Amino acid sequence: MIQASKIIGTGLATTGLIGAGVGIGVVFGALILGVARNPSLRGQLFSYAILGFAFAEATG
Amino acid sequence: MVSLSNSLSFISSPLDQFEIRTLLSLDAPILANMEITVTNIGFYLIVGVSIAFILNGLATNYYQITIYATIHSIVVNQINRTKGQIYFPFIFSLFIFILVNNLIGMIPYGFASTSHFVLTFSISFTIVLGATILGLQKHGLEFFSLFVPAGCPLALLPLLVLVEFLSYVSRNVSLGLRLAANIVAGHLLLHILSSLTYNIMTSGFIFFFMALLPLSFVIAFSGLELAIAFIQSQVFVVLTCSYIKDALELH
Repeated sequence: MIQASKIIGTGLATTGLIGAGVGIGVVFGALILGVARNPSLRGQLFSYAILGFAFAEATG
Repeated sequence: MVSLSNSLSFISSPLDQFEIRTLLSLDAPILANMEITVTNIGFYLIVGVSIAFILNGLATNYYQITIYATIHSIVVNQINRTKGQIYFPFIFSLFIFILVNNLIGMIPYGFASTSHFVLTFSISFTIVLGATILGLQKHGLEFFSLFVPAGCPLALLPLLVLVEFLSYVSRNVSLGLRLAANIVAGHLLLHILSSLTYNIMTSGFIFFFMALLPLSFVIAFSGLELAIAFIQSQVFVVLTCSYIKDALELH
């Protein structure tokens, strides 16, 4: 019973990654929105997006 | 229940890959029992620096155009178009050092030096301390105006200064923590996934073909980790540039 609970707990602990996944999705979704509105800013927005991706990824 | 705990005991700890072992050691009774040891992290750092040197010696046009131009544009855009150029050699060697060590970690049975907080914290503390000294040298006591946000009411000043100071101090930790935590998390994920795949594959003929699905995940995550090796070294360099810029220009 304790063993099973430990394994279930291990599985539950990985649900924290949901937040990191949502964060990465928001970052790249916002990148697409920004580039669609102003394609000339593509390079600058992409470097910001990579920075934001790294911040979100670091929490996961 | 018994079979479950048995099968779990076969899995070696995923943290084994980060263990620092002694490769060569010299215990000599001179200078109060001096002990010179080459551990595996030391060995891999030596290999990484040698690779970086060889890479720079063999620098082809392509290499120069891609990496050199990328780092140059980061330095020029982040710090200053004219005065930022003198920091380019430092930033470039920092980028190459972190990138080469990340990529060496991606070689199977290799050792990821950048997964050790000792290494990344020593780099990040050095960078933030160096930027602070740079700012103090350039601006004197005026440097502390970095902690005062522009145009804030006097009543809020102590609180805001405290918050700014804490955020400045936590740069030390966050810069190194981000790199090491990413590399550790990636390597743990790859280890757990690949040991799962191995256990499935060796348990039967049918299972061998069923395990091709998790195997494809392992390959996909290896690609992701390669991308993260690049992205983390780039982010480290970008943040280093912005810290130097903060010290030079005080907002």
